[in-house]
Amino acid sequence: MAETQIAFNINGNQEQIAAEPNQTLLQLLRDELGLTGTKDGCSSGDCGACVVLLDGKPVNSCMVLALQAEGSSVTTIEGLAKDGELHPVQRTFGEAWAFQCGFCTPGMLISCYALLESNDNPTREEILRAIAGNFCRCTGYQGVVKAVQQAAAELRATNSSEGAPDE
Amino acid sequence: MSELAIVGQWAASPGAEEIVTGEARYCPDIRLPGMLCGKLLYSPHARARVKKLDVSKAREMDGVFAVLTHADVPGENSYLYAQPDQPLLVVDEVRFQGDAVAAVAARDARTADAALAAIDVEYEELPGVFDPLEAMQRDPDSVMTNQVYRSGDVAAAIASADVVIENTYRTQWAEHAFLETEGGVGLVDDDGGITVYSSCQAPHRDRMQIARALAMPESMVRVITPYIGGAFGAKDEAHVQIHAGLLAHAARRPVHLIRERRESILTHVKRHPFVVEYTTAATSEGKLLAVKARAIADAGPYTNSTHEVLNKFGEFIGGPYKVENIEVEKIGVRTNNPITGAFRGFGAPQAAFVYESQMDDLARQLGMDPLEIRLLNGVETGTKMYTGVVVREGTAMKASLNKAAEMIDWQSRDQLEREPASHLRRGWGVATILKGSGLGRGLSDHAGVMLEMHRDGSVVLHSAAADMGQGITTVMAQLAAERLGVDMASVRVVRADTSKSPDAGGTSASRQAMVSGNAVLEAADSIRNTLLKLAAGKTRIEMDRLDLKAGKLLVDGEPHELSVSDLAQRAGNWGYPLHAESLVHFEYPSDVPEVSYRYSQEVFQFCTQIAQVLVDCETGQVSVERMIAVHDAGKMINPGGVYGQIEGGVAQGIGYALTEELVVQEGHTLNPSLENYVIPMALDIPEIEMEVLEFPEPIGAPLGAKGIAESPIIPTAPAIRNAIYDAIGKPLYELPMTAERVLPIPDGN
Repeated sequence: MAETQIAFNINGNQEQIAAEPNQTLLQLLRDELGLTGTKDGCSSGDCGACVVLLDGKPVNSCMVLALQAEGSSVTTIEGLAKDGELHPVQRTFGEAWAFQCGFCTPGMLISCYALLESNDNPTREEILRAIAGNFCRCTGYQGVVKAVQQAAAELRATNSSEGAPDE
Repeated sequence: MSELAIVGQWAASPGAEEIVTGEARYCPDIRLPGMLCGKLLYSPHARARVKKLDVSKAREMDGVFAVLTHADVPGENSYLYAQPDQPLLVVDEVRFQGDAVAAVAARDARTADAALAAIDVEYEELPGVFDPLEAMQRDPDSVMTNQVYRSGDVAAAIASADVVIENTYRTQWAEHAFLETEGGVGLVDDDGGITVYSSCQAPHRDRMQIARALAMPESMVRVITPYIGGAFGAKDEAHVQIHAGLLAHAARRPVHLIRERRESILTHVKRHPFVVEYTTAATSEGKLLAVKARAIADAGPYTNSTHEVLNKFGEFIGGPYKVENIEVEKIGVRTNNPITGAFRGFGAPQAAFVYESQMDDLARQLGMDPLEIRLLNGVETGTKMYTGVVVREGTAMKASLNKAAEMIDWQSRDQLEREPASHLRRGWGVATILKGSGLGRGLSDHAGVMLEMHRDGSVVLHSAAADMGQGITTVMAQLAAERLGVDMASVRVVRADTSKSPDAGGTSASRQAMVSGNAVLEAADSIRNTLLKLAAGKTRIEMDRLDLKAGKLLVDGEPHELSVSDLAQRAGNWGYPLHAESLVHFEYPSDVPEVSYRYSQEVFQFCTQIAQVLVDCETGQVSVERMIAVHDAGKMINPGGVYGQIEGGVAQGIGYALTEELVVQEGHTLNPSLENYVIPMALDIPEIEMEVLEFPEPIGAPLGAKGIAESPIIPTAPAIRNAIYDAIGKPLYELPMTAERVLPIPDGN
C-alpha cells in the first residue's frame, strides 16, 4: 500500500515517518515508534486503553488514522514525566491504588492529565466524566478519583507557592 | 515480635512506577528481533465435521513461516490441566465457536490474515446441542458430571416445616473482560529449548502443558509471566500460550500470538449459566430447617473447571447459615455453547444469588426483617457446617451484618423517601455470604519461594505466583520487608519465571496471599535467624532481645549502631548463606473430625453488602444509589490492595446484576464486543462505602490474613435484587435484572 510521509510532534520531539493510509495512530505509535505504553484493549473505540493527547485533546488513538496526525502534537504516557520527574498524578496513581493490573492506566492517566490541565480542583463528578470512556475492570474507579484529587491539591499548592499569574 | 512496621500500611505496588510511565511490558508489548505474527483459524460453526482441511496454499505463501494443523502437533494435541479434553487444533469435529483448526506464523499481521484466508476448510454442519435441560433428557451421555451431596434428612425436615418455599433461578453467561486479551510469545532458546511469555495465572501448569504438546521434557520449557492485564479466572486455563510455543518451535523464530477482542470473547471460558430449583424449609420463627437444590449448569463442550465450579456451588448453596439438612444435586451438561470455567468465585456468585434471594422471600413470607432472619440463622465460630467443616473464625458473619446495617442506618432507612417522584421507587436490600479461600481439603495446595539477601542488604524474591493485578507481588514484598527489617524499596520481586522460581500453583481460589504469603514468611525467617545469630555473636547480646526494623538492628526495641546491611555484609564476608528456599502447604488442622464434603474450603471470607436502589417505573431502569460493603480480611497486609479488591469486585457485581450478559443463540455469541456486552463504567457505579473487619484467622494464615479476592463480587447481585424487590414489590429470579425483566411494575407499587 502506498505510504505517505507525515511529520508530527511526539512527546516534544519532531518525528518524520511513513504511514499507510489504513494505519491507525495507535498502530503507528506501538508498531513503528516503539511506544508500547499506549495499550490496545479493543481496537474499536470502546475501552479507552489507547487514549493519547492529540493537540491537547484526549482521543482514542485506535479511532484516529495515523495520517490525521500530520502537523499535530501527540502526547502519550511516555511523555508525561518531565526530565525524569513524574507528573504528580502519575505518582498519586501508585499511592492511591488507582489501578491493579495497570493495563488501563496509560489511557486513564492521559484522560486525568488532560482534565488537570484545564481544572486544578475537579469534583468527583468532573473526574468521573473525564474518565467516562476509560474502562477499568479491576477497580471501581475510586482510587482514580482519590489520586486525581490528591494530585490537584499538590498542583494548586505548587502553583500558589510560585505565585498566581496576573488575572 | 514488636509492632508491625510495613504490614498493614498502604504500600504502592513494586511495579507502580513502571505502570504509570508506560514502561511495564505486557505480552502485546514484547518485541523480539525477527518476531513473527501468529494467528489461529477459529471455527465459524458451533458444531460441524471437518470434511477437508488443506493448508498447502497457505504454506507456499511468501512471508509465511509455519502453518500447523493437528497433524503437526508433535506431542499431545489435547489440553486443559485437569481433564485434557479440548483439542489444541481440531482433528475432525468442531464443538464450539472457539475451536481452533489451524495456526499460522507469518512476517506480519496482514500476511498472517492472508494465510488464514488461504486455508481451505470444508465443514459439514451438524445438529448442535444448545439446551442443557433438553439435552440431558434426550441423551444421558450429555451429562458431563452429576454430583450429589446429602446431609441430614431433608424429606423429614421439609415435612415438619411451617414454611416451604420453592423457586427456580436462572443465571447468565458472563464475560471476564480483562483488559489485556489473552496472549503469548514463543521463542526457541539457544539450546533448542522453548521459552514462552504467557499472560497466565499458573506458569508451572503452562510449562507442563507446553512440554506435553511439544513432546519435550519440562526441563526444556521455560514460562515467564510479564505484566498481566487482568484475568479473573479466565487465564487459569491455557489459551494461546501453547500454540505460541508450537508455532515458534515450527518456525524456529519468535512468534507473537495475541487474541483480538472479538476472538477473546468468542473463545475463552465464561461464567457458567445455571438453572437452579431451590427449596427452603423453615419454622414459623424463621429458623432454617432444610435446603434442597438441583442445579444444572451449561458446561460447553469441554470440561475446563466445571467439576470445580459445581463443587464450590454445592459447598456454599446453603449460605452462611446453620442448616442441618441439605441435599444438593449438581449437574454439568455438555453442549455446543461457549466453554465455561473459572470466573471469580467459582460458582459461589450463582449460589449466592439463589440463597440470598430466597432468604428475602422467606423473610417476607414470615413478615420478618431481612437483617433479623440472617442474624437468627448465621453461623458463628465453632459452628459445624452441613459440609462437616467447623468454622474456625466466624465472628465476621454477624459482625459484618451489624456493621453494614449501622453504616446505612438500616432501622431508620424508611426516613428517606421511598417515592421521590411519582415514577421512582427506592428500596434497600441486604446480602451476606461466605466463600472459602484455598483449593480445598484433599487437594495439594502448596507454594514455594526463593529469597536472597545480598551483601548490601538488598533483597531479591523469586516467586511464580502470577500477579494479574490483584496484588500478590506487593503482599509478598511487604511480608519479606517486615521480617527482614528493610524498607519496601529494598525488595525486588522478580516476576514468575519457571526457570528461577519454584512452583506456586495457580493464582486462584483467593489462595496466594495465604500460601505464598506463608512461604515468604518461612524463607524470610530463615534469613532473619541467620542475621540475628550474627548480631548476637557480634554484640554478645541474647538473640531474644534483638530485632530488625527500618534497616537497623534493634536491641530491646532501641536502634543499635549496626544496620541490617552491616549484618548482611558480615554474612557475606564470613560465608553465612542469606539464601532460603521454602515450600509450604496450605494448613488444615489434623484434630478436626472427618469432613464429609469433598474438597471443602475451611477459611472463610465472610462479608455483607447492602444496596440502595432507585427504580424508574416507566423505563425499568435500576440505578444503584449506594453500596455498602463490609468484608473480613483477617488481617490486612496491604490496605490499598484489599480496598481495591472490594471496590473492583462490587463494580463487577453491579454489572453481573444489571447489565452483563452474553447473548448466545444456537452456540453463537451475538454480542462479542465491549460495545455490546454492557459493563458499568465510571459514571454508572456509586461511591462504594467500604469497611474492612479484621478477625485474624487462627490457622494457616500469615499474621492472620486471609484471601479476599473472590468475595466482593458475590453478594452484590442478590443485594441489588433484594433492593429491587423492596422498591417495587416484585421478586426477580433471573440475572441480569435488565429493564425488560424489571418491567412491568406490579400494581399498587
